[in-house]
Amino acid sequence: MPNVHKDFHGCFNFGLKFLLDNYGEAEMEEYLRRVARNAYAPLIESLRMRGLPALQDHWQHIMLLEEADFDLRFTNDDTLVLQVKQCPAIAHMRARGYKVCSRFCEATRIVNDEICRQAGYQSEVEYDRENARCTQRFRKEAAR
Amino acid sequence: MISCTEFIMAYSELFAFIDERYGREELVRFWEELADEFLFNLRDLVAEKGLAGMSEYWSHTLSEEGADCRMTLTDDEFSIEMNHCPSTAILRRNKHLTPFPDYCEHCKVLYRRVIEPYGFRCEVTVSDPVMGRCVVRVTKG
Repeated sequence: MPNVHKDFHGCFNFGLKFLLDNYGEAEMEEYLRRVARNAYAPLIESLRMRGLPALQDHWQHIMLLEEADFDLRFTNDDTLVLQVKQCPAIAHMRARGYKVCSRFCEATRIVNDEICRQAGYQSEVEYDRENARCTQRFRKEAAR
Repeated sequence: MISCTEFIMAYSELFAFIDERYGREELVRFWEELADEFLFNLRDLVAEKGLAGMSEYWSHTLSEEGADCRMTLTDDEFSIEMNHCPSTAILRRNKHLTPFPDYCEHCKVLYRRVIEPYGFRCEVTVSDPVMGRCVVRVTKG
């Protein structure tokens, strides 16, 4: 059972703000894509091998660890949908009085996008940072 | 969302990213800004309670992180003898990732910068960065 130290969300948020303020949005995105490729290499491989159930297992594990209010399901068109009803990262940062980076939710979009692209899948995120909610969708990339 | 349980990998990657693209001075500047603008919970405890505040801060954080360490608090000194740092354990466990080689350096910059302005001397001695063994010793200046 991994140890859950939620203040790391604040530290990650600070890192994003530092990149954004000092080097700009493109560099922040470059960093996040690097994290996706390097840190999530096993998930990318698992997604290639097992398909969307690999992502389903990943999110189920993470959301339970973070004690998130969420819903995770497949739709009829083989899309995996993760609905986060209250983001545990934003909730924690607000409770501690941290200023949430304006692009914090973009990190989710970019990291998801890179993981999926590397494995032949696609993702989209609709987020509402103010209300700490988002809906993430994952599906197999359409054949070209 | 990057889970807080996955953060250490993203932290190591951030150090490597800044160091490779902008140089070591910029990485140190990042650590200094992190100390100045993010570690206010530690700073507040040090300001209010001194050595006891440090003990309170690390008792909480190292417990949440699952550290194997021994903390000692006396009237004149606070120390942490880290047997297995939880962060380096994560980096070791995730063999697919190349850890930032000077990962442990950030502790030296962060904690000295927060603690020493309050009249203490803070030494961080890393004996084994791979296995995560170090000693943090804070004494009255």
